[in-house]
Amino acid sequence: MFTILLGVLEEGLVYAIMALGVYITYKILDFPDLSVDSTFPMGAAITAVAILAGTSPALTLALSFLAGAAAGCVTGLIHVKLKVRDLLSGIIVMTALYSINLRIAGKANLPIFSQKTIFDNDVLNRLLPEALKPYAVLLVLALIVLLCKVLLDLYLKTKSGYLLRAAGDNEVLVTSLAKDKGMVKILGLAIANGFAALAGSIYCQQKGFFEISMGTGTIVIGLANVIIGTQLFKRFSFVKSTTAVILGSILYKLCVSLALALGEIHIGRVTITLPIVPSDLKLITSILFLIILIAGNQTAKKGKKNA
Amino acid sequence: MKKNLSILMAAAMTMSVLTGCVTVEPKETTAASSEASTTAAQTAPAEGQTEAQADNSAAQAADVSYTIGIGQFAEHGSLDNCREGFLAGLSEEGIEEGKNLTVLFENAQADGGTSSQIATSFAAKDVDLMCGIATPMAQSLYSVAMKTDIPVIYTAVTDPVAAELAQADGTPAGNITGTSDKLPIEQQLDMIRQILPEADTIGILYTTSEVNSQSAVAEYKELAGKYDFTIVESGISSSADIPLAADALLEKVDCITNLTDNTVVASLPIVLDKAAKKNIPVFGSEIEQVKIGCLAAMGLDYIDLGKQTGRMAAKVLKGEAKASEMNFEVIEEAAFYGNTKVAENLGITFPESLSTSAKELFSDITQ
Amino acid sequence: MLELQQIGKYYNTGTINEMCLFEDFSLTIRDRQFVSVVGSNGSGKTSMLNIICGSIPLDSGKIIMNGRDITHLPEHRRQRSIGRVYQNPAMGTCPNMTILENMSLADNKGRPFSLLPGTSRQRIDAYRESLKTLGLGLEDKLDVKVGVLSGGQRQAMALLMSTMTPIEFLILDEHTAALDPKTAETIMVLTDKIVKEKKLTTIMVTHNLRYALEYGDRLLMMHQGQAVLDKEGKEKDAIAMDDILKKFNEISIECGN
Repeated sequence: MFTILLGVLEEGLVYAIMALGVYITYKILDFPDLSVDSTFPMGAAITAVAILAGTSPALTLALSFLAGAAAGCVTGLIHVKLKVRDLLSGIIVMTALYSINLRIAGKANLPIFSQKTIFDNDVLNRLLPEALKPYAVLLVLALIVLLCKVLLDLYLKTKSGYLLRAAGDNEVLVTSLAKDKGMVKILGLAIANGFAALAGSIYCQQKGFFEISMGTGTIVIGLANVIIGTQLFKRFSFVKSTTAVILGSILYKLCVSLALALGEIHIGRVTITLPIVPSDLKLITSILFLIILIAGNQTAKKGKKNA
Repeated sequence: MKKNLSILMAAAMTMSVLTGCVTVEPKETTAASSEASTTAAQTAPAEGQTEAQADNSAAQAADVSYTIGIGQFAEHGSLDNCREGFLAGLSEEGIEEGKNLTVLFENAQADGGTSSQIATSFAAKDVDLMCGIATPMAQSLYSVAMKTDIPVIYTAVTDPVAAELAQADGTPAGNITGTSDKLPIEQQLDMIRQILPEADTIGILYTTSEVNSQSAVAEYKELAGKYDFTIVESGISSSADIPLAADALLEKVDCITNLTDNTVVASLPIVLDKAAKKNIPVFGSEIEQVKIGCLAAMGLDYIDLGKQTGRMAAKVLKGEAKASEMNFEVIEEAAFYGNTKVAENLGITFPESLSTSAKELFSDITQ
Repeated sequence: MLELQQIGKYYNTGTINEMCLFEDFSLTIRDRQFVSVVGSNGSGKTSMLNIICGSIPLDSGKIIMNGRDITHLPEHRRQRSIGRVYQNPAMGTCPNMTILENMSLADNKGRPFSLLPGTSRQRIDAYRESLKTLGLGLEDKLDVKVGVLSGGQRQAMALLMSTMTPIEFLILDEHTAALDPKTAETIMVLTDKIVKEKKLTTIMVTHNLRYALEYGDRLLMMHQGQAVLDKEGKEKDAIAMDDILKKFNEISIECGN
């Protein structure tokens, strides 16, 4: 049980970083950006190649972020300068990056099992007391996620961050402020895809390999994380949106984990077996989401009545 | 409130429909329920123990029982055969599901994230052994098992060395071993040369995202010269690309040879149909492909591969050998499979040397 | 000084529905002039504002601002010296940001939006002071999201925000039309005060003939892309409500209304 929870937390935290990016595009900019489906594996591809070439694992995080940001810029430029619709510009970049990712990695599957990563290196092994070793992955992840969250929170409070929020809120005002709203969108997309690639980089280092298809459905997970998080915690005004998104990511993975475990339910000494076959996994996962969202709506309504 | 209730009702109904559905699917259900009942027997010790003991006495001399986790990457005929063979291989060694073996089976539905969660859940249940079917699943299991002492056995991994599951000399990378479904490419080329003495070019359709296919194509290219063939490759990225890619490829080649590429295999009937119209032979890589209309194959039987893997797993479970000390194995023998109906349609007769040594010849095309 | 020189603007060019909005339209607005623009629907009032601001492109002619040709300058670059208030109060503020954040945004116009803190602490008192002049009590609600304010409150903020930094031109696009009469009055008084205080060159489009007469020092009546009435200074003061209504009816009859 404990191991499963640990796994859920680890998985949830990795995807939380990507979800922070989706939060910027979807919630702040109101831009359905599909390019994350390819920038996530791009981060992984760059990481695998760079680590194999002897780059320090921590440096690959920065490299991935920058590459993701560049890809985000391309999506933005296509949308803003070539006037291609938001959804389509994301699709164009997503499709193009598939080939580019294969070029970067050289092949569809690139393992780094035997390499040093941010989760397994000399410095970490020296610093971490023996008792905490089993939680090394979780600790490193939590640290990175916290750092990302705090940085994003701080950024959204800067002048540039204000402008980004304004661009999603009221484009006309951005123009009135004598700023090019297109540039602001490009900036937002760059940051968002930077986060997605960073998540991909971390995912690759945690799992020990890059797989070209690992990004498929990333945007769906990201959107689910953002919506579950913001929906569920909207009545708690003390929970910041960024925190809500992180919690949403963990909840999402909890749902998948629950769906995996649902084959048999133990209540005390009684075991209930449900006739669920492995191929029902996705169906059960989506039913669990539905229940969470409905529950979220209920509490939100109650909260209003009480207020 | 009412609306929400009705949604919940709908959800509940879906669940109950699902329950209904399952009983219709005979194979899956029996697997699932027998698996479930053994688990029940173990977790409810009061009444379960006697039952388990009764079971054990029925099993041949096995007084220890094992729990293993099988993770399969995708829903796919060949991979299903692997699983079936794997369990058969175990039972040949006296480890039988429902008697002294509990099987936890999960399918990742081709989703990398789910793969690693499956791995975590196996580790949490502290299984005696994990079995990974297909490369991404094997890597996910290994990634989790590395931190525990649970051995991992894989199958349907084409290139364990490239996947870093084994060292270059064939020794395991860790507490992990298994079988490779590497194609007997040289034998395949030799067979094509024997059947089509005049052919110059061989077309290969493959998915760029499948690393196994990429390495197979590379090997084909390397060996083709030896048999005076030129390889024309056509890479696709999804099954939607297949019709166009097949049309373009058929313009350029004398025959097509098919790999174990998951995407292409799933859409193989489209390729076969287009090729048949142009009277171009398509060679397969395993028995199932020949059944559905490939001319011939020097190939694999995934059930056999699974059995071989199951026997390896049995050794590990019984403590006869350690996964970390066993080199990975390739299929013991590649056999010739032919389809005489297809040959007749194309106006081809198999050379006698092949047809007499055939493991199996099919005389009709399974739709 | 703002000059429109021989402006031409057509819609649906090359189709059977081709419509000429402006043809050879010229207008010169001197510094510190307050021009009220009235006219029937479709007469080209709002289009004129859009052409000046660069929201819609021009087919022919030139726009000269303070002697500089800005015809091809993108919209956001022109906005540096222009403040604009729209008919819809939602256009001038960010609903999901707080009053303080909105004020900070407006205050930073013309300067780089860098990684410095979005709100400068030293400026908060100044924001409070200027909000106080509105008399709406907004100075005590700095952390309230603008989205929950009423239309009038938002429009007052929009006006304040658009004139916060040094600008030369103020463009008012029926900015009282969506408000109730009392609020509209308040906003008009405030507008006049700000324009006088900051010595702005102002163009105000309005459907309220009384405001058009009462405020500003020049009156322009637009019809079919032309100024059919253009009076300033003493001449404007001499116009009575009846005259302008008569003129208005004339052009309306012409249109077949």
